[in-house]
Amino acid sequence: MNFISKLIELFTTVKYWEMIFRGFKMTIGISLGAIVLGLLLGTVVALVTIAKNSKVMFIPKLICKIYITVIRGTPMALQLFIMAYVIFAIRGFPQMLTAIIAFGVNSGAYVAENIRAGILSVDIGQTEAGRALGLPSSITMMSIVIPQAIKNVIPAIGNELIALIKETSIVSMIGMYDLTMAAKNIGSGNYMASYIVPMSVVAVFYLGIVYLLTFCIKMIEKRLRAGDKR
Amino acid sequence: MISVRNIFKDFGDLRILNGISCEIEKGECVVIIGPSGSGKSTLLRCMNLLEDPTYGEVWLGDKLINDIDPYLHYDAIEASKTYANLVSTGLTRDEAIAKIKKEDLLKKHEGPAFKKICREIYEENHLDINIARSRMGMVFQHFNLFNNLTVMQNLTLAPVKLKLKTKEEAEAKAMELLRRIGLEEKKDEYPSKLSGGQKQRIAIIRALCMDPEVILFDEPTSALDPEMVGEVLDVMRSLAKEGMTMVVVTHEMGFAREVADRVLFISDGQIAEEGTPNELFSNPKTQRAKDFLGKVL
Ligand SMILES: Nc1ncnc2c1ncn2[C@@H]1O[C@H](COP(=O)(O)OP(=O)(O)OP(=O)(O)O)[C@@H](O)[C@H]1O
Ligand SMILES: [Mg+2]
Repeated sequence: MNFISKLIELFTTVKYWEMIFRGFKMTIGISLGAIVLGLLLGTVVALVTIAKNSKVMFIPKLICKIYITVIRGTPMALQLFIMAYVIFAIRGFPQMLTAIIAFGVNSGAYVAENIRAGILSVDIGQTEAGRALGLPSSITMMSIVIPQAIKNVIPAIGNELIALIKETSIVSMIGMYDLTMAAKNIGSGNYMASYIVPMSVVAVFYLGIVYLLTFCIKMIEKRLRAGDKR
Repeated sequence: MISVRNIFKDFGDLRILNGISCEIEKGECVVIIGPSGSGKSTLLRCMNLLEDPTYGEVWLGDKLINDIDPYLHYDAIEASKTYANLVSTGLTRDEAIAKIKKEDLLKKHEGPAFKKICREIYEENHLDINIARSRMGMVFQHFNLFNNLTVMQNLTLAPVKLKLKTKEEAEAKAMELLRRIGLEEKKDEYPSKLSGGQKQRIAIIRALCMDPEVILFDEPTSALDPEMVGEVLDVMRSLAKEGMTMVVVTHEMGFAREVADRVLFISDGQIAEEGTPNELFSNPKTQRAKDFLGKVL
């Protein structure tokens, strides 16, 4: 019954709650920031990679290709270290921003690949019909192709974002105070002296966040699919 | 209306169109027939530049819609370095021009005078491709209605986005056309809820919503169940009667016979024969046309 009593202790101690809350804020902040950055970056990179070959686009396309290859080919932890200890190794640079950029840049590469595949999966006839009406390619893309592409890739992007949220737990490796770090600190404290209790509680927090996100994705999917019951 | 001038189209090493010229006159219904793979769709798609011709020009009215083809402009050829070299070796003007055209001698860089005259011809005559396309409708074999939009949105998207009509005007026009084909109650449906025949009729009026000067049809009934072919042909027939300019690629020989003012028979990327439906169907002159018609009629 040690577990129960420790659990009660954790739930009734303000200090522990403060630690968990502090970690929770960090995890949510990094996740949201990285999701927004990743989606924006991913969309832009996807649009560049599918653009027609031309002189103007040569360099941007090359950069995007290298970006995707490097990010997908190296470990997330290493990318985080490089951001924290090399690129943003500036005194006073907010750690949270470093983490947001590291995770956003990382998930941008995966999101870009998903969106690119989604755009290519839209029947070429849709584009041709738009262009044949005299719509410029930008409007054809925005009004016809992208809405259909997004519908196709929402599940894949959802999985990507869920993976991202869980992966943020490695920020403790650069000494940041997120949910995982909070659990570790509580567990190693003199009074608690138990890892299993705070770890379990924090696990429930992660589960809750992931469940909420899954729910939101399902709702979006449902709304988008309203149009094509076959 | 549409003038196709000596177009060639290569896909990689394959020459699919091999020197096609034709004029589509206002109010005409021209039907294009020919064996599978002969280049009918490619020709049609070159007319609105969904395919870019490798050589040759496409004109809409008196406006050039693709790049200039210097081989079609004697004044450009005469300004080229190659021409100057040939003339200096003793050829006459006509001989030099003939040699250049025959042997495809113009190079990428033919000097500033050549460049200038090409640019002048282009600037004087060219029409933006999106404007040109907004004046030519196209109906596809597989309908290509926008799956993410309702019928009404399909009909009004382009005229509104291109600022040809206000939303109200576009919707009024769309309703009028929907009523004409008897599908006004489908206006808020998505395409996935429609039958093939309904989709294709909507696709036709989507083109009409732009008030086009000409409509290009690429095998509009080939993807339809047999019982739906009639309803689509009826709409096309009534358009032809009203004097809409139409270019129709089809395997429906009955429709061609009845509605076409002129039939082009395409074989191996060339117009092998052309004439009124009566001439072509009852009395084909070329062996290729005889063989083809023998199989399909
Ligand atoms: N984008 C492309 N790339 C390479 N080859 C192509 C392309 N489009 C068409 N072709 C080839 O060009 C040839 C002519 O095609 P096209 O579609 O114009 O024929 P068609 O006369 O319309 O035939 P069908 O009656 O079967 O529709 C075919 O051999 C086809 O494989
Ligand atoms: Mg075809």
